[in-house]
Amino acid sequence: MIHCHNLHWGPGGRALTPPLNLHLAPASLTGVIGANGCGKSSLLKVIAGIQQPLRGAIELTVPRLGGVAYLVQQQALDRQFPIKLHDLVSAGLWRSPLNRQQRQRRLEQALADWGLLDLQQHSLHALSGGELQRALLARLSLTDAQVLLLDEPEAALDEHGLVLLWQHIQRWHTQGRTQIVVSHSISNMSQHLDNAVLVSRSGCIFAPIRELMGQRSSLEQVA
Amino acid sequence: MSLELLWSPFVEFAFMRRALVGGVALAVSAGPLGVFLVLRRLSLMGDAIAHGILPGAAVGFWLFGLSLPALTLGGLVAGLGMAGIAAWVTRRTGLREDASLAAIYPISLASGVLLLGLAGNKLDLLHLLFGSVLAVDPPTLNGMLLVSVGSLLLLALIYRWLLMDSLDPLFLAGVSRFGPLAYGLFLTLVVLNLVVGFQAIGALMVVGLMMLPAAAARFWSRHLPRMLLLAALTGAVCVWLGLLLSYYANLPSGPCIVLLAGLAYVCSVLLGPLNGLLRRPPHLSPAH
Repeated sequence: MIHCHNLHWGPGGRALTPPLNLHLAPASLTGVIGANGCGKSSLLKVIAGIQQPLRGAIELTVPRLGGVAYLVQQQALDRQFPIKLHDLVSAGLWRSPLNRQQRQRRLEQALADWGLLDLQQHSLHALSGGELQRALLARLSLTDAQVLLLDEPEAALDEHGLVLLWQHIQRWHTQGRTQIVVSHSISNMSQHLDNAVLVSRSGCIFAPIRELMGQRSSLEQVA
Repeated sequence: MSLELLWSPFVEFAFMRRALVGGVALAVSAGPLGVFLVLRRLSLMGDAIAHGILPGAAVGFWLFGLSLPALTLGGLVAGLGMAGIAAWVTRRTGLREDASLAAIYPISLASGVLLLGLAGNKLDLLHLLFGSVLAVDPPTLNGMLLVSVGSLLLLALIYRWLLMDSLDPLFLAGVSRFGPLAYGLFLTLVVLNLVVGFQAIGALMVVGLMMLPAAAARFWSRHLPRMLLLAALTGAVCVWLGLLLSYYANLPSGPCIVLLAGLAYVCSVLLGPLNGLLRRPPHLSPAH
């Protein structure tokens, strides 16, 4: 589904790690962990096609347009922007082939799923960080993208929000979508997903997440 | 004072009528464009482009004399060129967008003034910078109407893409290839509006007509369509009252219009229901 060949990437033109070779199967659910500034978010952006790789190549078996959905970090949004939560979320149906009624039904379902029904008419400035995060996730859930790239999806979510998030990640997993999740919370991730990529200066390691947390003897080096 | 004073100059004089119709048309399209510039944090872009127009118009004048198409084409090419250079420098060197724009416009202004000097001083610099209602002859008026109507139509067409590209360009890039094109079309509209405005209201004053109503609108509404409408209406009223002021007090029209827009802005800052200085938000008022 996602193939990285000898991939060099990094903001500002310098590679942060040795080249990465990574092959993720369809419907896989993979975490990305590593220290601050090691290039986790940049890796997602390169896979999403937002940043160009410095060297090497990425192959996706789905078209980038419509096939890949990228969850932006919410700091990227201007909270003063005059738009209502309803309009922000409904943008998830941008490429949807559904008719008006079906769209309306899906939108309401997504708003209900993420506990946003009462906040529809709020503008962005009136939302808390967690509410905005749920809105962004609801928008993502409305797309038909087969590859979901989640950059710190847990940001600003309270406990209830976290439960919703991991429920949805499991649901997307059973729907056969391919997901990559960047997170700082390894303990949360280790409960919910199997494999992870550890990104670090000395090399990237793809392994079951429990092994990345514990002993490092049987690690498969992919760098 | 009789109410007739509010329209008699326009009934009496054809040049006042043309200035009013052209100015109102321009205000109605420039205001909404200004709102989008504010939303994109590109409020300085208007300034940079307006200054950028000058050397282009000067070259047009130098080569072809005082012809509207030549001045417009020269201004369009130079204005877009300056915006493009500023964006290119930002992308290639990481210089912040505002610094890049601020560096471009004194260069444009100085080279424009020098080029006009080389052209033999036949074009009145003050008219170019600050405008003259007498400059709105029928061909100019047609140009203003065409640009205004065209801008509003195109803006309505690209509205959906421009909105999402302003809020969340990364998301838009994932669902549509049209984002960069919509942004390019939008910048072209900004340049076109500034170019057709520079003869009637002045190259530097027309920026005020674009940005002041837009900045004022932000104090009244958090609903984008309402903000767009409000900016357009504020601009139109300022053109009308500004022309009257310039007529009765015998003052240049551009500064009169822009100062009235400035007054609207100051009133909004003070009285606007959204964060206006004199309106305390209810949760800050002392509880009993």
